[in-house]
Amino acid sequence: MDFALDEDLRKRIEQLSQLGRSQIRPLGLEADRLGRPTPPDHPFFERLIRLGQGRTRWSPDSKGGPERGVAPRMGTSVVGLCMIEEISFWDRGVAASFPGPGLGDPPILSMGTLEQKRRFLGPFVHPDRPRWGSFAMTEPGAGSDVAGIQATARKDGRHWVLNGAKSFAANASRADWIVVFATVDRSLGRDGHRAFVVERGTPGLGNFVVERKMGLKAYESTSFTLEDCSVPQDNLLGGEAHYSGRAGFRGAMKSFNATRPMIAAMAVGIGRAALDEALSFSREQGLLDDPRVRDRLERIRRRLRVARLLCWRAAWLADRERPNVLEASMSKAVAPAVALEAASLGMEILGGVGARGDHLIEKLFRDVKAMVIVEGTGQIQRVIMARRLLGDGPRN
Amino acid sequence: MIDFELGDELALIRETARGFADDHLRPRDREFESGRAVAGEVHEAFREIGLGALELPEEFGGAGLGALARVLVLEELAAADAGAALALDPLGPALYPILELGGEKALESLARPLLQRPGARALLVSDRRDSLRVEGGAVSGEIPWVPADRVDLLVVLRPTGAVCVSEGIELDELRGAGLRAAGATGLKLAGAPICAAWDGAVGARRALARARLYIASLLLGVMRASAEFSREYALHRVAFGRPIAHHQALSFLIVDMATAVDGTRLLAWEAAWRLDRGDDAAEACATAFLEAAEQAMFVTPNGLQILGGHGFMQDYPVEKFMREARTLSLLFGGPDGAREDAGEQWAEPDDWAGDAGRESDGARLEA
Repeated sequence: MDFALDEDLRKRIEQLSQLGRSQIRPLGLEADRLGRPTPPDHPFFERLIRLGQGRTRWSPDSKGGPERGVAPRMGTSVVGLCMIEEISFWDRGVAASFPGPGLGDPPILSMGTLEQKRRFLGPFVHPDRPRWGSFAMTEPGAGSDVAGIQATARKDGRHWVLNGAKSFAANASRADWIVVFATVDRSLGRDGHRAFVVERGTPGLGNFVVERKMGLKAYESTSFTLEDCSVPQDNLLGGEAHYSGRAGFRGAMKSFNATRPMIAAMAVGIGRAALDEALSFSREQGLLDDPRVRDRLERIRRRLRVARLLCWRAAWLADRERPNVLEASMSKAVAPAVALEAASLGMEILGGVGARGDHLIEKLFRDVKAMVIVEGTGQIQRVIMARRLLGDGPRN
Repeated sequence: MIDFELGDELALIRETARGFADDHLRPRDREFESGRAVAGEVHEAFREIGLGALELPEEFGGAGLGALARVLVLEELAAADAGAALALDPLGPALYPILELGGEKALESLARPLLQRPGARALLVSDRRDSLRVEGGAVSGEIPWVPADRVDLLVVLRPTGAVCVSEGIELDELRGAGLRAAGATGLKLAGAPICAAWDGAVGARRALARARLYIASLLLGVMRASAEFSREYALHRVAFGRPIAHHQALSFLIVDMATAVDGTRLLAWEAAWRLDRGDDAAEACATAFLEAAEQAMFVTPNGLQILGGHGFMQDYPVEKFMREARTLSLLFGGPDGAREDAGEQWAEPDDWAGDAGRESDGARLEA
């Protein structure tokens, strides 16, 4: 039993916090003020690459085994979790704009052939410049219920032809490639799913629209369409053999599984930032003598600590390749709700100062709401947990 | 580095406690409650498995184990019967001021004789508001309820130290709201002579921290039992054509209850880990206590709710869990006392996250 972070990790967090103070938070505030994502040619992204960010977890020496070759820079999920919490403390929107394969990394790691890992993750091993990957599952009519996606894939000789629309994909318009999920037969549900790596410039991939959001403006959430988009058969993740049985769908769910605690940890970071704002303000204004204020701050701090421990546990299980579906959903169900409460309490304590709309606490209040939604809403997490704890009953 | 593995020794201790609770406590909880005591042969069985003296040093017949082992055992015992868990521990949390303030000498003079007298009980009370009068080498005053029918040694813990009395303790039997297996009395002291007194704010703080974690562990066991029992029930009780667990209004509630139990456990484990490292764990223990108190009052009334009318009847244990959760969290100053101590740190910005040297940078910037 150990709840301490080792020296090396603490150093890396300290480095991140310096970067956070000098660059990440100012960039996030700027993007929020200007109402647009940080442009891909911003020198900040070059700087991140020089600092060793933006890499894949895949290592070319790993012989292509599923998720074995974890790059030393990234380390375990627990390490990744602690780092992403720290970056999100400074600005979660900027964190999501970081170069790298992003949410496309896990499905390629778990489903991709060695050749596909070389082609698509290879450029992210030691990236020459800021590069992004993207992941597109959500559609205008299918969110948490991923089995309901409508985008179609039809085999045509040595190609697959994709048609459909995808929504809210992070960094999609600037990405080298997008992992796109589509179905070969809507009537098959999950069994019909296939994952494709659609490369930038593929004819039929287009109509990129960077959505206008309530918060988290520093990164792009992009919708796009696939119109007779012809993808080489070699870009079918895992190859045809992978999709005998239900592996295609399981591939998607596996990637969600690994990322839920990550999203939860980001929420903890935002919640910490909100608590700090509330605390600083309370201290400056002499509100800490008021037990009404102190008790509420205490509760938020305590609930954030619970949330963080739930995240750590879920990631720790993942690092040991132990089942963590229940624990991952617990962390995702708890952390964003607590973080929202933290930001809301911050608004309450700051009062009119928060309502002016030019204080960090107000931005955090807007930013944090997305965390309750992405990677499965709080409600969906409860559906998942209920299936684990109570069996397959509640499908209503 | 972060590690949630218990290890073989602790896992075995937990397994042993669980087995004992299943075999000896759970089947007889109502009998112990109405009899206001745990049967003699159960005391005997508990002594035999050696879990009673976990934290006592080995030279005193204990196992010399730490706070984490204690948390694990108390959760298991309380998941069967929290009152019995108190009754089975003759020293209870009174051990902590004896250890932290009195040291080995006090252990020898106060604890050892008590352990040799069958049925003897030591009792710890926290008197942060000075409601007891200490003057002229004697203690006077009243405590409206203590979970004991017999008190051989009373330890009164204050922020600056502790005093002990062993004579002149008057007990009036009460019905008690919960934990009746440990007894329930009103306690009166009319100039009870002090038999030992210790000064030391640091020791007192640590003793109170350990006492709070003790109660948090019992609360954890009670709420786990309530969550598990009501979950099982919901899987079998049918309404509107299916098990009630498969109606979403209940399934969401049940998973939230399970989450509350897990979160509380992680906080308790972290606080215990801090104590075992020798950290100043006052804030962590107060936090674990608060979370346990708050979540127990979320879980146990809902555990009853899931059983509907049956839950209100004493044929099922869920009403008992609810009473136990409420009464346990009143001990040692209750949630408000813990809030005071957990909120202490707001006086100066520090390590809110508490994970060994990692500070919240925003707070530090303001320092």
